[in-house]
Amino acid sequence: MTTRATRGPRRRTVVALAVILAVLSAFVVRLVDIQVVSANEHVEDSLQVGKLGSTVTLPGNRGSIVDANGTVLASSVTVYDAQLDPMLIASLEDDEDDPPKTSWSEAADMIAAITGQDADDLRAGVAATLESDPASRYLPLKKGLSTEKFLELRDLGLVYLDMLPRETRVYPNGAVAGNIIGYVDSAGVGQSGVEQLEKQCLSPVNGERTYLRGKDGNIIPGSDRTVAAENGGSVQLTINSDLQWYLTQMISEEAQKMGAKAGTVTVVEVKTGKIRAAAEWPAMDPNDLNSSSPEDWGTRVFGSWFEPGSTFKAVTAAAVLDAGAADLNTTVSANGRETFPNGAVINDPFRHDTYQYRLAGALIDSSNVALSKFGTLIDAQTRYDYIQKFGFGQETIGFPRENPGLVHPANAWDSQTLYTTTFGQALTVTAPQVAGAYQAIANGGEKIDLSLIESCTLDDGTVVDPEAPKREQVVSEQTAAEVSRILENVSVQGGLSQQIEVPGYRVASKTGTAQKADAGGYIAGKYFTSMVGFAPVDDPQYVVVVTLDEPTKVVSSAATASAFQQSMTQVLKTYRVSPSTVPMDELLPKFE
Amino acid sequence: MSRQAATAAALLPEPIAPAPGAPRRLKPVTAPARRAKPKLAYALIALGGAAAIGIAQIGLSLAITQDSFVLADLTSQQRELDLQASALQDDLAGTSSPQLLATKASELGMVVAGSASYLRLSDSTVLGPNTGADGKSTIDPNGSGAVYNALLNQKADAAAAANDAEASANDTADAVDPNLPPPITDGLPSPTTR
Repeated sequence: MTTRATRGPRRRTVVALAVILAVLSAFVVRLVDIQVVSANEHVEDSLQVGKLGSTVTLPGNRGSIVDANGTVLASSVTVYDAQLDPMLIASLEDDEDDPPKTSWSEAADMIAAITGQDADDLRAGVAATLESDPASRYLPLKKGLSTEKFLELRDLGLVYLDMLPRETRVYPNGAVAGNIIGYVDSAGVGQSGVEQLEKQCLSPVNGERTYLRGKDGNIIPGSDRTVAAENGGSVQLTINSDLQWYLTQMISEEAQKMGAKAGTVTVVEVKTGKIRAAAEWPAMDPNDLNSSSPEDWGTRVFGSWFEPGSTFKAVTAAAVLDAGAADLNTTVSANGRETFPNGAVINDPFRHDTYQYRLAGALIDSSNVALSKFGTLIDAQTRYDYIQKFGFGQETIGFPRENPGLVHPANAWDSQTLYTTTFGQALTVTAPQVAGAYQAIANGGEKIDLSLIESCTLDDGTVVDPEAPKREQVVSEQTAAEVSRILENVSVQGGLSQQIEVPGYRVASKTGTAQKADAGGYIAGKYFTSMVGFAPVDDPQYVVVVTLDEPTKVVSSAATASAFQQSMTQVLKTYRVSPSTVPMDELLPKFE
Repeated sequence: MSRQAATAAALLPEPIAPAPGAPRRLKPVTAPARRAKPKLAYALIALGGAAAIGIAQIGLSLAITQDSFVLADLTSQQRELDLQASALQDDLAGTSSPQLLATKASELGMVVAGSASYLRLSDSTVLGPNTGADGKSTIDPNGSGAVYNALLNQKADAAAAANDAEASANDTADAVDPNLPPPITDGLPSPTTR
């Protein structure tokens, strides 16, 4: 059968089939490649390169900032920037066959009534634009229109009026905590405060939507691809906005009463280190930056440093007691003015004869000379180490543009500085640092790092807690108790006891007055006064620091007394702190 | 063909040749065999099936398109409601602020007092200052220390503008042209006689 005659056609058939199969399989391979392997790329190509589909960016919203109780302090809203198309207006007006339902002149009246502009100005603006460029398609009308205005304008149904949405920030409480919250620039990037500090949590991730439209404008089923936008997370602060409002209002009144340049109040919870209020005057309203001067746009609480003066004496006392160099009965002799063996001259704020001061008396009378002698019972390096442990010279929470203060190392202290550092001169601090140090004293010697951010709640509901604050026993419990007792005696036996009394509560406090300095040294008559304290002493709950910059009506530490008393009263009331039930220990004697 | 295949073919038994004289089994065909009549039912089933598939396809496609319209409709409703919600939200901004609350409270004569007193239930002791508020506020929310809130100011400005507009509208309505005689409201004027 396999004759030469039959072999020829069969071979041809086989070859033909093979060729067909080869071509077919090539097609199959290509088909699989198109439909399966690189299907996504081709779909994207078709939508984008082919210009068949439309792609819109779905903007995510920036997250909100809320206070400790969930009160919204900052949130995002959409506003609209309206613009006109002068060329379209002209071409519609000129169309005699089909004149517009509403003539431009009437429309201008209606637009002006809604936007609150002058209709004549509008008409003139359009005319002027057309005159300079008849093909102009852009004339800004008004920026930042609210949704209400947007709806009214939209309902006019004018084709030449375009309104572009834009996200903006609203701060419902205005200047309450404005300096802490900060503000964003026109691109929505945080420029100061929490808006900058928590940018990672607050920033949204934009989404995208791509689709094809049919001739009637409806989206063709199956062509719609959406990558959803991720809104920014919501930041919860430890701040209590009601307390913050009261303290802002109060310090503003007090600072003006005292003729001061500025004032701050900082409140820290003793058991947690959480900052419950950080008020200041002059305050900034992030809704309207121009209503405040640019120097008030930052925060004085974290950003401005000062020489603490006598409030620092509690730190020296704690160091000396904790190192075991002295106890409550140790005495030093101090005159109102003394020259020390190394040549340093130290003055007390008032003249007096030589007293045999105990530590309590030295703080009650705020004797610089006595503190210099107590402070130098331990060597400079040990004292420096304690100052470091209490948190001075370091940022507290890493707030944007936070000032770390300045504490020179012990080996850089000269003969005068060796003594002045015992009573808070020749070093600079910030109010939160002082609050942090007193928090440690009030909390049995355990210092808890301050915190301002409670948590970040992501768009999907995940709660991200910040790292737990560091806890460190900086002085012994006994030392802390002794210093607390001294500070309570300062409140009770000091000259301001009447002014700072909070009925029902045992309060520990210390005032501080430091002369302001510039490059040339101390400036006569210009003081920075502060007062720090905590209550109730039998179970300390809150530390309050009040500062006034250059008070002029009263230049002594008494300037801050009223503000401190009102702050402490309000703090204890806000948190329903139970009045003291344990009576005070017997008064400590000042002298031997 | 290779030599091996040729050898294999050579080894096959000889094909049996037809016996001479036997009648030939193949005859020429005189007429084509009658074809069986095709069954109509099969054709109908096939056509019906195709039609059913086609109709189902069109139906599904229509349903999807219809859904697309409904979706577009609902989406635009949703957008509209969102806009209204955000317009209302805008109205509320600032109204919840402590500044406004304090101002309103002080208008009602309320004060921010000093320390609070507490009643301890276990022994009926009053802790704290044990006095009531003395009617003096520790702060003045309307004074020079008022905490600024641009949102409230905008609202106040807007309200004032609205009042002005209303007042001026009333003015124009009440304005009387002095050249016209006074309107007759109580019947024709007549001299009063006693």
